[in-house]
Amino acid sequence: MYGNPHARSPRVRAGLLGGAAAMSLVLALSGCSSDNATTTPAPSDTTMAGPPADNGKPITVWVDSDRQAAADAYTAAYPNDPVTVEVYDGGANGSGTFRTKMQLFDQAGSGWPDVVFSTQNNDAAWASQSQGGKDPYAAVLNNGLIPDSTLSGFAQGALDPCTVDGKVYCLRNDLAQDVLWYNKSLMDQFGYDLPTTWEEYQALGDKVATEHPGYIIGAQGDAFTPEIYFWSGKCEANHITGATSVTVNTDSTECKRVASMLDDLLANGTVPNISVFSPEFVQTYTDKVLMMPGPAWYGGALFQNPDNVNTPAGQMAVAAPLPWAGEDAVTGDVGGATWFISSHSENPGLAAKFATFVTTADDYQVDLAPGFPAFKAAEDKWLTKQDASGYYAESLQPLVDAGGMIWSGWGSGIFSQEAIWAKVMTPGVTAGKKLVDLLPDWQKAISDQAKVDGYTVN
Amino acid sequence: MPTTSRTRGAIASLTGWSARGIIGVVLLVFVLFFGIPLVWLILASAKSGHALNVENPFSLGSWHDFADNWSQLFDFQHGAVGTWVKNSAVYSAGALIITLVASIPAGYALALTEFKLRRVLLIITLVVMLIPNTALILPVFLELNVVHLIGNPFSVILPMSFYPFGVYLAYIYFSTSIPRDLLSAARIDGCNEFQVFTKVALPLASPIVALVGFFNFVQNWNNFFLPFVMLPSSKGYPIQVGLTSLLASTPAFNPSSAGSQSIQLPTLALATIVSVLPVLLVFVFSQRFLVRGMTAGGIKE
Amino acid sequence: MTPNTSDGSAVGAGTRRRSALAALLRRRPSTRVMPYIFSAPYAILMIAFGLLPALYALYLSFTKKDGSGFAGVENYTNVMTDFRFVPAVEHVSFYIAIWLVSLIVLVTFLALVVHSLGIKRVRTGLRTIFYLPGALAGASSVLLWLFLLDPTASPVKWVLKFLGMNSFLEVVQPSHMPLIFAIVAFWAGAGGWIVIMYGALNNISDEVMEAARIDGAGPIQLALKIQIPMIRKWITYMVIISLATGVQLFVEPQFLSQATTAVIPNDYSLNQLAYQYAFKQNDFHGASAISILLLVVALALSSIFVARGGLFDKE
Repeated sequence: MYGNPHARSPRVRAGLLGGAAAMSLVLALSGCSSDNATTTPAPSDTTMAGPPADNGKPITVWVDSDRQAAADAYTAAYPNDPVTVEVYDGGANGSGTFRTKMQLFDQAGSGWPDVVFSTQNNDAAWASQSQGGKDPYAAVLNNGLIPDSTLSGFAQGALDPCTVDGKVYCLRNDLAQDVLWYNKSLMDQFGYDLPTTWEEYQALGDKVATEHPGYIIGAQGDAFTPEIYFWSGKCEANHITGATSVTVNTDSTECKRVASMLDDLLANGTVPNISVFSPEFVQTYTDKVLMMPGPAWYGGALFQNPDNVNTPAGQMAVAAPLPWAGEDAVTGDVGGATWFISSHSENPGLAAKFATFVTTADDYQVDLAPGFPAFKAAEDKWLTKQDASGYYAESLQPLVDAGGMIWSGWGSGIFSQEAIWAKVMTPGVTAGKKLVDLLPDWQKAISDQAKVDGYTVN
Repeated sequence: MPTTSRTRGAIASLTGWSARGIIGVVLLVFVLFFGIPLVWLILASAKSGHALNVENPFSLGSWHDFADNWSQLFDFQHGAVGTWVKNSAVYSAGALIITLVASIPAGYALALTEFKLRRVLLIITLVVMLIPNTALILPVFLELNVVHLIGNPFSVILPMSFYPFGVYLAYIYFSTSIPRDLLSAARIDGCNEFQVFTKVALPLASPIVALVGFFNFVQNWNNFFLPFVMLPSSKGYPIQVGLTSLLASTPAFNPSSAGSQSIQLPTLALATIVSVLPVLLVFVFSQRFLVRGMTAGGIKE
Repeated sequence: MTPNTSDGSAVGAGTRRRSALAALLRRRPSTRVMPYIFSAPYAILMIAFGLLPALYALYLSFTKKDGSGFAGVENYTNVMTDFRFVPAVEHVSFYIAIWLVSLIVLVTFLALVVHSLGIKRVRTGLRTIFYLPGALAGASSVLLWLFLLDPTASPVKWVLKFLGMNSFLEVVQPSHMPLIFAIVAFWAGAGGWIVIMYGALNNISDEVMEAARIDGAGPIQLALKIQIPMIRKWITYMVIISLATGVQLFVEPQFLSQATTAVIPNDYSLNQLAYQYAFKQNDFHGASAISILLLVVALALSSIFVARGGLFDKE
């Protein structure tokens, strides 16, 4: 009995990343965005005098297998702290393990871990709320548990997915800001200039289609496609306005311009309806990727990955995110993990110390972590490390700069935007419909799902 | 029995080559249908990730890649995979024993004895079998939490021992394969009910014991949801739940996972094979009982 | 082995006398008590892990979400007006139509064919090949179907391309899904039933088969007039369980959802919807309501088969 396997709606799917060596190089650089405007995530309701002291009680920490290195780094730095580490799936592939387990502990009245790592960036949406009449799982961090100085050390917008109604409920582990990846050698070879706006990008696509058919400048078959193109286009498809309210409006100029651009580029074959992690992509487009808008982790997942397109060294580079003509450039974000502290913790001081360490300490974020750090001080060192590796044709500074350009008009609700896109839009495009015509369906699907998850939709 | 092969051979001689040909083709089609994915899986475990994506699906891998995948699998989380397989064995075997002790006598009683609650039990069993597990998992969790069994292997073994499917199989078997006269004869000869069961019915029941045991073992082995809910610690996971940890560390399914613990797709294929091997062994072992004894029952009037 | 009919015509007066004695003996104390003892361990497990949880689920389905008391049919109407409910009903219905028919027909056919073969090793080998896919469950199959359904990397790509599908997304279109799930479910589930039916066929005595053959029955008549009627109860059981499994469709869309990164959605079937309610919307009451609805449908359909197939009869 009770034999139901448990596969959930996935979040993202990537090609294979390479070996450990590549891993430690790939995204382990940081750029110090000292020129970027610093942002305090939220005004703190200072009701506490300062962070609570470590009272000596043991804490339990849940990590996924990749973050075991973070826990190991902590225990190496503080061997006398009573920290028990449990490994779970991190909520990957939309498994919802984190939420499911916390609900079960709520029912039982005990058993919550003190610190939890989640690969998803939308857990604050439920962890900040009372579930079934029980206290919310997540502790508020910006009322003194974590000092303001630490919180403001994160990149601008990094703590937005963690912030609900002005309160911060989690710390960001890494950023996944979207940038414009491009193959510098191919661009030089074909004699193209880098586009500086989306309009120029579209025009370049038309050119590539006629002059060099078979080459691509993007892909739109992944579930996170809206987080690359529509988020950076300021489309109001996921505007979370409160703990349980969202505004959805895909009938705007912003959304339509992105949709029609993608339709045009799909028709001429330069932005195919294919997932970058499918065998089809690897077989058809290895050596044919001219440009690829996408998150920071594409570097390791696609280009430096022997199991994906595996571009040779010295070719790939990064350009700043593109604006639409006449506007400021903003960008989207695809992923980025989070750390939570339990509101039921019996030793919040130690829990806070652990969470702070794993998100800010060089020992992990610079030396070991595969992702782009969300903590500004670690970013510069990340950049130095990355540039020294010699893989990229140019400095990855634009990637670091992009870390501060994430548009705040796209939120992180409980419902999965990726699942909705994959269910409604991708099959529609596969069946030959145009994105522009599917926009109303998209709006309806988001609204329906949001309502079921308890949101009021405007 | 010589008549057996004669009956079977008769079919061949009766209908000639054309019918044999059609049957042969049909069988071949089904063998390919069931078999090709398995062949692919085995070959996949000996390839590199790139080869899996790009090369011919039936290309042979290499020993080198196989060894790489093997060490990647068993290095994962310091040999967690071995622990998981061991856990699966413990849970499945434990539940198997309790299941057999509970289900076989129950099936016998339902089929071949008279008692007032017989129909009631049959109906309730059927009803409970038809309820989706989703609805039952929370109450079971709460029950086990009350007796403080969460995290204990018995929180998994006990619910798995409840095997209504097997009880029905035993019920049907006993009611169709054991002649009532045999039991009457035994009773007349002075056996009490317990002896009738142990001396007459049970020896004839080896096929159904094997069948129920085998299916129960496999279902326990493959059960994901129950251990997922009941066991908080990765050290107690059975292999099925552990596979999801592996999946979560596979960048192909979870790009945010990158690091020395990354799992490639071929390693996942190897993990799949490792998780299936014990089932295969139990299957081969129990097949013997399935055939033997099936034709050996009964009395001649 | 003696065929199991209750027709005593082939037996003589000695049996009638024995039956009368047996009836007397059945009233002994041990006869009355032992059946309860035999069923007790199972009954305990059933109450603990079947009946009580089912009653609790029933109770949940009729009480309010926020725990404040009786809710009448509120959970049910809530669930049935969910925008995902009607599509899920359609999906499951199409699926069952394809799945049930193909399973019963093909399983019976394959079991008969395998049983009729002459060489023992071939019979065992075939049963093993047919069964093995069923041992691959859940997480293991995610990887498998990810590749099987991709026309660029699949071992059966020539089949997919022959059917006009050149890319993965073309294969996993909504209109194809009932068929894909039926194929996946058949691939994993048929083997187990073939093994069971094979065992059931083994129960039929060779003398009966021989007698019929001597009377001039060909293999098809043997199958239709002798073998299938004699495994009637097993086939009925297979129909009922497959119906229940079909109505409870969960596994195939769930892991295919993961393999296709949600292009096949995680609320495709009603059982998945129940799961969503329970664990994504934190609404165990709604989940219980859906489960009870599924139970009622499965029960209604099953009782037809139970009655016609004589499942509860004693032979």
